[in-house]
Amino acid sequence: MPSWQDFQPFIVTGLALGGVYSLSGVGMVVLYRTTGVLNLAFGAVGAMGAFIAWSLINTLSWPAALAYLACVGFGAAISLLYGMLTGPSLAGRDPLVKAAATIGLALMLLGAMSWIWSDKARSMVLPTTNWQYSVGEVQINWTQIIALALGVFVTLATAAFLRRTGLGTAMRALANDREITAALGVPVRRVEATTWLVSGALAGGAGLLLSNLVGLDAATLTFLVISSLAAALIARLRSLVVTLLAGVVIGLVNAMATPIFSISSYRDMTPFVLAAVALLFLARHQQISFARRSR
Amino acid sequence: MRVTRPRIRVRHPATAVVLLLVVLLAMPQALSTYWIDVLTAVAIYSVVALGLGLLMGRVGLVSLGQIAVLALGAWVAARLDFATSIPFPLVLLIAGTITMVLGTLVGLPALRLSGLYLALITLMLAGAITVVLTTTNFPNGGPGFLGHTESSFGNPAVRRPGIAGGDAAYFRYTVIVAALMFTLVFWHVHSRPGRAWAAIRQSEPAALAAGVNITTYKLWAWALASFVTGVAGGLLAGSVGKLYTYQFPTRDSIILLAVVLMGGIYNLWGAVVAGALMKLLPALLDNWGLPPDLLIILFGAGVLQVLLTAPGGLAGQVPKDLARLGQRLATLSGRRAPEGEAP
Repeated sequence: MPSWQDFQPFIVTGLALGGVYSLSGVGMVVLYRTTGVLNLAFGAVGAMGAFIAWSLINTLSWPAALAYLACVGFGAAISLLYGMLTGPSLAGRDPLVKAAATIGLALMLLGAMSWIWSDKARSMVLPTTNWQYSVGEVQINWTQIIALALGVFVTLATAAFLRRTGLGTAMRALANDREITAALGVPVRRVEATTWLVSGALAGGAGLLLSNLVGLDAATLTFLVISSLAAALIARLRSLVVTLLAGVVIGLVNAMATPIFSISSYRDMTPFVLAAVALLFLARHQQISFARRSR
Repeated sequence: MRVTRPRIRVRHPATAVVLLLVVLLAMPQALSTYWIDVLTAVAIYSVVALGLGLLMGRVGLVSLGQIAVLALGAWVAARLDFATSIPFPLVLLIAGTITMVLGTLVGLPALRLSGLYLALITLMLAGAITVVLTTTNFPNGGPGFLGHTESSFGNPAVRRPGIAGGDAAYFRYTVIVAALMFTLVFWHVHSRPGRAWAAIRQSEPAALAAGVNITTYKLWAWALASFVTGVAGGLLAGSVGKLYTYQFPTRDSIILLAVVLMGGIYNLWGAVVAGALMKLLPALLDNWGLPPDLLIILFGAGVLQVLLTAPGGLAGQVPKDLARLGQRLATLSGRRAPEGEAP
């Protein structure tokens, strides 16, 4: 059994990764609750944003800050575009169909990424990664701090936003019942558009952070969405705070298993196993009912 | 409550038989080894698509982890093959059965979940299986339970059946086994379980009221799909000889869903189309010097097009919505669309 010292660096990486999982998880949960779309292209959108930022910096030599903004902007734009184009035709359909449609978007983005940026390996290093300091024997950089802080901040801010503002109330109403909300005079399409925009921006931000923390690789970043999805699933696609906690726990457990030799190579199973167990546990009393299924 | 019969029938059994004979007799003569290997893969993945099509089209269950099930079948077949000297057909049968048992064990608790949650849990479980396989690797004649050795020289390939050692012969063998799997599923769909599945797909409460045991029949579909996928895994092990984890990436499970949707889930021919889309099209593209990534973009666009242009449909009736897609593609490929699909 490794000593406490061996775990310390992995606590930091775990917390940072967990922060990004939470960030993505919250983005997915809010979108799902408001529009009914579980966006499986969340990772692909962020990854493409990160690639665009990389190209802007390294080939067009844009200032870094502007390129990062472009990444977030791309995420927001492509998500909004997708939401507006597919929203009306898919509005009344089963959540499963809506989720399957986002697989279409994910595949298109993945194909485009591996086509355009396939020639060589790339890496993205945010300037904040170079600002390091040590606590005890552990090196911490600002990217990791930002990742965790952003996860916590976005969760709390979103929760407060949903509770306090008019738009937030409209979003919660939509999550309850789309038809009744529309009948009450809430501009449904506009509220949904806003949600897509914000969720897409979160995807861009998460992609940017992950490209630094994990690596700039199209397939990896696209399928990392499954880990964030696990956090959202543990929260039953419902609670933002549980999503945050689940994301951090997944990140932590995953990273902390690294120094334990016997389970080290199985550590990537963490999100899958936790989500599967949680889902099965939560569904243990579920029965077929005639009632309309709530989201 | 009228329990409707499943709508899809093989309309021209003679066509199927003639086509099968042509494929079996003429194709191996006319084609090079490369294309025979490609067509063997098409046959194998048609069976995988058949399993997913059965789940989606018949019962309305979506699995995003079928490639992991395929890998499981391949693992079991390879392990049996190195550990024993039992005949190849028996290896296929046992691989299918073990995969079926494992699939059912997983399916039993998962079937409590419905729709989206079931799809997502299969995605999670597939991810977990992939991680385990990355660590254990596939058997390659090494010692111990896992049967894997790191040394890469002189490892034996998975043995093929005695009567089908060559590529052309193995292709024929694969097509015959695949045809048997199609027959098995066809037979199920057109007998009691098929009618129960149709009832479940249309409305679970109604099926329940009509006296259909939902859990049993859902599990039955799950077991059958796992079985054919396991057999396909065994065929794949014999086809490629040496198995590696990278042959079963998670992205393939997603792509499989796309091609199965594009192929059409209400028609058994859809599975053949799906197999061709997944394995023949990349080879063709490669042959024409086009990047294979184009294909992924095409599949993505195909899924969107399929789901969007289908009419609004009845809320919550995914399979019905998806059926239009199957019809559309079936019509495009020159086959008569099954009537009576519109509500």
